[in-house]
Amino acid sequence: MNEREKGGVPDDALIRTTLAGDDGAFGELVERYKGRAFAVAVGIVGDGDDALDVVQDSFIKAYYKLKEFRFGSNFYTWFYRLLVNQAIDRWRKSARSAEVPFDESWLSEDASPPDSFAYPRTPEDLARDRELGDALQRAVDALPEIHRAVIVLREVDGMAYDEIAKVLGCSVGTVMSRLHYARGKLKESLRSHRDR
Amino acid sequence: MDCGTALKSMISKADGLLPRAEEAELAAHLAGCPACAAEDAAISATGPVLRALTGIRATEKAPALDAMRTRVRAGIEESREARRRTSWIARWAWIPAAVALAVSALLFYPSGTDRSPFHPTSFDVSVEDVESDVATVALVDKGEDLPRVIWIIEDAKT
Repeated sequence: MNEREKGGVPDDALIRTTLAGDDGAFGELVERYKGRAFAVAVGIVGDGDDALDVVQDSFIKAYYKLKEFRFGSNFYTWFYRLLVNQAIDRWRKSARSAEVPFDESWLSEDASPPDSFAYPRTPEDLARDRELGDALQRAVDALPEIHRAVIVLREVDGMAYDEIAKVLGCSVGTVMSRLHYARGKLKESLRSHRDR
Repeated sequence: MDCGTALKSMISKADGLLPRAEEAELAAHLAGCPACAAEDAAISATGPVLRALTGIRATEKAPALDAMRTRVRAGIEESREARRRTSWIARWAWIPAAVALAVSALLFYPSGTDRSPFHPTSFDVSVEDVESDVATVALVDKGEDLPRVIWIIEDAKT
């Protein structure tokens, strides 16, 4: 997961260099994690511009809290905790959080879908089916923030259950239960789209 | 395998927790049950579609994401400057309070009685230049002979 495994300068070394006064080393950490951080942030806040602000604010917060980092633990787990909290705060303050209705018709189980239906699995395919993208985003937005964070960390970032539990400060069992709930809701939106 | 058990297995499969032995059993059920097969397709697609959606957003914001390092550096500088200003204010905030205290002491200093040990006839309250590293607020009894410092705060330390 971290750069030590990929053969780069270990995160710990970059943190020590930053703490010694070299801001360039922190810039390396930003480069290293900005993509993953954005993917998680946009999954939670839903809006790209808001997600960019969340990522920027989280890195700035991390910079000033860096002296609290415990060496030996994973930087990205520590950083993701800041990031997810920042994203949830941002979502709560955004107008969108009050405006997203949960359309119960997505939960319809009655229709029998055609057998040949295939869901898009790449950005290019999904871009051609904008309605599905919008429907899924509405379903994600309708999830409680903490469930949204769980499914994004698991499905988008590929985090392990125990890592998600560390980031969110809960048990692995709670992670699995929230993931089950979130997956169920998103599945219904996909079924509903397919059944139309 | 019935449909209820199959649904649980599908979710376990999506979570990567379905034992290999049960995978074949689930596959056999899905082959003969179109409704469960559709359910399984939707569950299995959740992750890929979510990643695809995120991929679209990342592509849309790629230029801004490329500039993230610069944005963060600028944000840190801005924040550092704000902290510096706040710290400067906090550092010198005691001065107005000290001046007020000195003026109060001046106003209420006993007069017309024996004012041992100082016997002041005039006072001076002074604030040194706060641009230097040390600021001093002092209440001085100028007296008739040598001036006496009644009370002094230097760099927020009495």
